Amino acid sequence: MSNEYSNDPILDMFLFETTQLIEQFEQSILASEKTSCFTSEAINEIFRIMHTIKGSSAMMMFDGISAIAHSIEDIFYYLREENPNHIDCSALSDLVLEGADFIKDEVDKIKNGNNTDGNADELLNSIKGFLSDLKGGNPAGKSTKARKLNAFKAVIYFEEGCEMENIRAYSVIHKLKSMADDLSYIPENIIDDDSSVDVIRRDGFKLFFKTDCSREKTQELLMQTVFLKDLELEQLNDVDLKQFNGPQQVVEEETPQYVHNDNRSHDEKGSPHDSASAKQSIISVNVDKLDKLMDLVGEMVISEAMVVQNPDLKGLELDNFQRAARQLHKITSELQDIVMSIRMVPLSATFLKMHRIVRDMCKKLDKKVEFKIIGEETEVDKNVIEHISDPLMHLVRNALDHGIESNEERLSKGKPDTGNIIIEAKNAGSDVLIIVKDDGRGLNKEKILRKAKENGLLYKSEEEMSDNEIYNLIFMPGFSTKESVTEFSGRGVGMDVVIKNIETIGGAVSAASMPDMGSTITMKIPLTLAIIDGMNIKVGSSCFTIPTVNIRESFRPNENDIFTDTEGNEMIMVRGQCYPILRLYKLFNVNTHITNPSDGILIMTEQDDKTICIFVDEQLGQQQVVVKALPEYIRRFKKTKGLAGCTLLGDGSISLILDIAGLIGLRE
Amino acid sequence: MKTVLVVDDAAFMRLAVKTMLEKNGFKVVGEAENGLVSIKKYKELRPDVVTMDITMPEMSGIEALKSIKAFDPKSKVIMISAMGQEALIKEAVMSGANSFIVKPFKEDHVVSAINKVLLT
Repeated sequence: MSNEYSNDPILDMFLFETTQLIEQFEQSILASEKTSCFTSEAINEIFRIMHTIKGSSAMMMFDGISAIAHSIEDIFYYLREENPNHIDCSALSDLVLEGADFIKDEVDKIKNGNNTDGNADELLNSIKGFLSDLKGGNPAGKSTKARKLNAFKAVIYFEEGCEMENIRAYSVIHKLKSMADDLSYIPENIIDDDSSVDVIRRDGFKLFFKTDCSREKTQELLMQTVFLKDLELEQLNDVDLKQFNGPQQVVEEETPQYVHNDNRSHDEKGSPHDSASAKQSIISVNVDKLDKLMDLVGEMVISEAMVVQNPDLKGLELDNFQRAARQLHKITSELQDIVMSIRMVPLSATFLKMHRIVRDMCKKLDKKVEFKIIGEETEVDKNVIEHISDPLMHLVRNALDHGIESNEERLSKGKPDTGNIIIEAKNAGSDVLIIVKDDGRGLNKEKILRKAKENGLLYKSEEEMSDNEIYNLIFMPGFSTKESVTEFSGRGVGMDVVIKNIETIGGAVSAASMPDMGSTITMKIPLTLAIIDGMNIKVGSSCFTIPTVNIRESFRPNENDIFTDTEGNEMIMVRGQCYPILRLYKLFNVNTHITNPSDGILIMTEQDDKTICIFVDEQLGQQQVVVKALPEYIRRFKKTKGLAGCTLLGDGSISLILDIAGLIGLRE
Repeated sequence: MKTVLVVDDAAFMRLAVKTMLEKNGFKVVGEAENGLVSIKKYKELRPDVVTMDITMPEMSGIEALKSIKAFDPKSKVIMISAMGQEALIKEAVMSGANSFIVKPFKEDHVVSAINKVLLT
């Protein structure tokens, strides 16, 4: 969900609640579809969700949404009350999911500040058509054979002082509905509009309808009206009736038979509410507030360091102070953990959305796929989740579209005709790995190389590329091996959107594959961007920080191990392997006396399987640092690759945080 | 200032009603998301008026209405229903509801309904 809602808290609440409800609705429908039946809990839940959406959207005057919700509510009301035998689960699911899509689209339009201009007429007709078919097939439903219809106009006058004439008028309508067609009446708005009571008192309650009952029967029925003072009943020919049919045809569209509601609404009391809509005690908090809280906690960590590591205290023996400082540190650490965990959100919501995509694509592509989710309880920062959804969707679509073969092809290869797609999330150090795995035809090396050559994306000669490097070519912009563009993929804009999204949050994507066995795409995402474990180092009088997660080892090098390669790059040999050396003072133009490698320290750092040794003066120590972005001014003025941000050290000095991936990139 | 208890299972509706009421000088002293909770809150808070949605899980608005009326016959309860629930409104009125409003409603509807009910 974006943060760009309008400033109207009521609209925000509507969007928030409706979005949540639609997600619950989808889950419920998908679950029911899997078991090919709608349990009474599911029906009740679905009914209530649509009922609520109908009411809320009507309040906010989003009539399109309200109409669709109303029509779906009607279907499930019917299912609840009549419990028909033959429900085409699959067709119903398709239909109502289309309804959900419409509502989702309209809600998105609202979120983006656009008009809700969706035309739901066709969809509405289909949904209503489904319901009337359902009723038609049910023996208790009305028969549709042509009947001889009489047209009538009736005017009803109620006794003076009987009060609530509009409700009494409604009772008449209610009674007539079961035996009349084309019912319309004046005044129209008898429930909403209080002034209708006056109109009825003054002019009587006028009704126009067609029925196959005789005039006597009709008169008898109407005379049964309670508090009836006077009845004028006039038979009309069709022409007269049509004239009056302008106002209020709505009656037929209203949900009939709400009278039975009493007994049923308590059904749910006994059954535990264990469906997908598990309600916990939750309050919704503005993400801006959380961001501010995170910022402040970060500042607090820095301030704590500035107090405890204050240069004034250097060399002093302060036992009591140290004890108090440790206590303080314990508390700030705990506070830090909790605040970070507040922003952590489980991936389950994002993963569950994939069910719908898999289901829809399987239907469209006529493929059978078993879809499994592992580790959805794994949590990531809220900011990060927004950037995972689209890439994940694209990867799943890819797996289904390109990866999994058609049923026949799979059988001919000796594979089971049902394909497998697994999404897995797991923690790996300070990263989260999200893996999309399929057992399809795998990535085609030749095709990839060919396409890369075509688009001029080969940066190395073919022979020198490892399988891994070849597979990872698919992530380069402008790449696509699918000959034709399908609705779902193949436009060459998908994969690099994946990469861009992931890189925005500081993550990485990689691909692995085995021909005919399948492919595995792995997204590595940092848990949180704000606070990292870092190693402080010194170059000259400048401080830098290297994220601990990137450090493999540090050592004082031997002069003999260092040499220069054919292109003039400095390298060092460690245990039989060569690594490039980066002289930090040279890169950042820092004045320092330590230029001889054996006088300083080499820190072996790595990122994405690439390693580089950074030459620094000395190591200062490990510390948790709060990552602050480089100030806008500096970023605009000078693009410095290799810097991920900056931080304040305990003594108040500034340390620049190195971006290892960036540094490695500079070297290449 | 007159006090109100707002009962509806939709958080959105509760917020919408609360906002309308507070704009018009009423004090919303409590909210409830189903019939059961509304009875408990009524007993705790003894508001001047209750706005009660009809369709709710756990216990419907009509059942809660009956309970509240049994507990305090002088209570003022306004039923809020959706379109098409007119038959339920009838039952509610029979069970003692002091008035009713139909969704979607405008601010002045609610306010005038509450004012009318408070006068009786």
